[in-house]
Amino acid sequence: MRLLLVEDNVPLADELAAQLTAAGYAVDWLADGRDADQQGACEPYDLIVLDLGLPGKPGLEVLKSWRALGVSTPVLILTARGSWAERIEGLKAGADDYLTKPFHPEELLLRLQGLYRRASGLANQPLLEVGGLALDESRQLCLRDGEAVALTAGEFRLLRYLMLHSDRVLSKTQLAEHLYDGETERDSNVLEVLVNRLRGKLGRAVIETRRGQGYRFGGLS
Amino acid sequence: MRSIQGRLSLGLIAILVLVSLVLVQSSLWLFEAALRRTLANNLREEAEGLLAAMVRGPAGPQLDPQRISPRYDRPFSGHYFRIELPERVWRSRSLWDASLDWPPAGGLAEALIDGPQDQRLLTYAADYRRSGVPVRIQVAQDYRPILDSFTRVRIAGLAVVGVAVLVLLLLQRYAVKLALRPLERARAQIAQLQQGKRQQLDRDAPAELQPLVEQINHLLQQTEQTLERSRNALGNLGHALKTPLAVLNSLTLHDELAAHPALQADLREQLAQIEQRVSRELGRARLAGEALPASHFDCQAELPALFETLAMIHPQGLDLSWQAPPGCRLPWDREDLLELLGNLLDNACKWADSQVRMSIETQPDGYRLLVDDDGPGIEPERRAEVLGRGTRLDEQRAGHGLGLAIVRDILASWQGDWTLADSPLGGLRVDIRLPRRSAAR
Repeated sequence: MRLLLVEDNVPLADELAAQLTAAGYAVDWLADGRDADQQGACEPYDLIVLDLGLPGKPGLEVLKSWRALGVSTPVLILTARGSWAERIEGLKAGADDYLTKPFHPEELLLRLQGLYRRASGLANQPLLEVGGLALDESRQLCLRDGEAVALTAGEFRLLRYLMLHSDRVLSKTQLAEHLYDGETERDSNVLEVLVNRLRGKLGRAVIETRRGQGYRFGGLS
Repeated sequence: MRSIQGRLSLGLIAILVLVSLVLVQSSLWLFEAALRRTLANNLREEAEGLLAAMVRGPAGPQLDPQRISPRYDRPFSGHYFRIELPERVWRSRSLWDASLDWPPAGGLAEALIDGPQDQRLLTYAADYRRSGVPVRIQVAQDYRPILDSFTRVRIAGLAVVGVAVLVLLLLQRYAVKLALRPLERARAQIAQLQQGKRQQLDRDAPAELQPLVEQINHLLQQTEQTLERSRNALGNLGHALKTPLAVLNSLTLHDELAAHPALQADLREQLAQIEQRVSRELGRARLAGEALPASHFDCQAELPALFETLAMIHPQGLDLSWQAPPGCRLPWDREDLLELLGNLLDNACKWADSQVRMSIETQPDGYRLLVDDDGPGIEPERRAEVLGRGTRLDEQRAGHGLGLAIVRDILASWQGDWTLADSPLGGLRVDIRLPRRSAAR
């Protein structure tokens, strides 16, 4: 899942980027409001974490201009400005969640997870359960019939994305766009390898191939 | 508190009464003096007439009855005389059996003497010589009718003065009211200011009030700007402090520290303390309290956004509802009230199973805010603890203690009062009473 992190404090951004990457997000980091304004509007992000006090352009302005352009990506505002009046301002600008600094990293991860599930129309439960499979996002494990199956980071990312979009056929390009950050070279062979490894661990039916279209999550059935 | 109207009326009455009394009395005095001069002339002529009425008779001098006015014959007519010769005295018949205490001095007597039948007599005495014989003639005239008419005039004068005072007072009230209308308007505007119904006083004031109005407006503006500046500065300070705290929080999770759980726990504990302290003090410093008289909170405009924000922060599908009287405006700073309600409702949302309800009621002496939830509630024994100190009843639900501490700070700055009770929804009810702000009466 691709996530845009807009934060001008370098140490915090470093920390967050590391944790978010560890949690299976493909993170793009920007520190300037003007860059964020542009990039957020054209790249297909799944989630955006936005700081408000940005150089170049204030975070709320950036958010407003995204929303004016029709960008519907869920945005979590991460700010030190925690008064209720400011939270309401954030909501009015189009935010989907609001977390005040300082925060516990676990809470940020939980909120992002919940935010994305809500945006995809899924219930916010501890485990992501689709088609007979359950995914433990915090431990990056897959549970099949109560039995834990260990996943590598790449496998976890792919499986999560497929499970979150189980109703859609996803092309390789789409998958690559959402699984890798802007810096990584996108190699479709890597995707095929990951698909095969997941099929090996969870059964062939777990990922269907639609020739010429892409992949679709099939579940255990 | 004495009003300008009262002072002006009092001054006017005093001056009016004093001036008219002096005027009435002195005109009476002047008139009486002139009258007495005329009467003195009349009496002298009477005396000379009596002298002329003395004729030489066979047995010495005698009075010629033909020459004496008949009013000296009618008993108690009010006109009397006494003619004193060395060997005899004549009294007018009108005196009848009364005897007068004639004053010894000559000319018009200063003092009146008592006459018969309650009469008050003005007397005149003159000494003549007739055929070598000294004659003293004293005449008296009843002064009572004149005294009576003077009294009547005085009473009438006082009545006129009274009516004049009354009429003038009414006119003055009207004039003062007219003249003070701008002041009255300013007073009403200040009352509106206190109720948060206006932000500034009208600049369109008379020249005398202009500096006052401008000064008040200037102060209001300055207070507002100061508040905004300090809020901004606090926001920046908060940002500057909290971002590093967030970094530190995150650093404590690193593997290097995870190898030393005790150290990690200590660090996190200390960081949590700093965080709480910073949030609390910054939150407290942000409060406007009662600094801004023009501030207000428009329920219909603000509450929907607040509830949307709450629903966003608590996405577990709670049933959130509020009710407030239509057009309800609370006379407190918008940010303060949002902070108060936000924290209370946030807390209620954390604990509620499915439902959170808030209501605002206006009461004669203030406002009542109720926040209800259907969560587990708090046992009566522990409620005092929550109201009293920054206790965290549940360490797992972050910010619980802090939010209530800010609520307490806000209520203290507004002299508000709060209690915890059982909610009809089954959980906790927070019952807040806010006194009406002392508006200019």
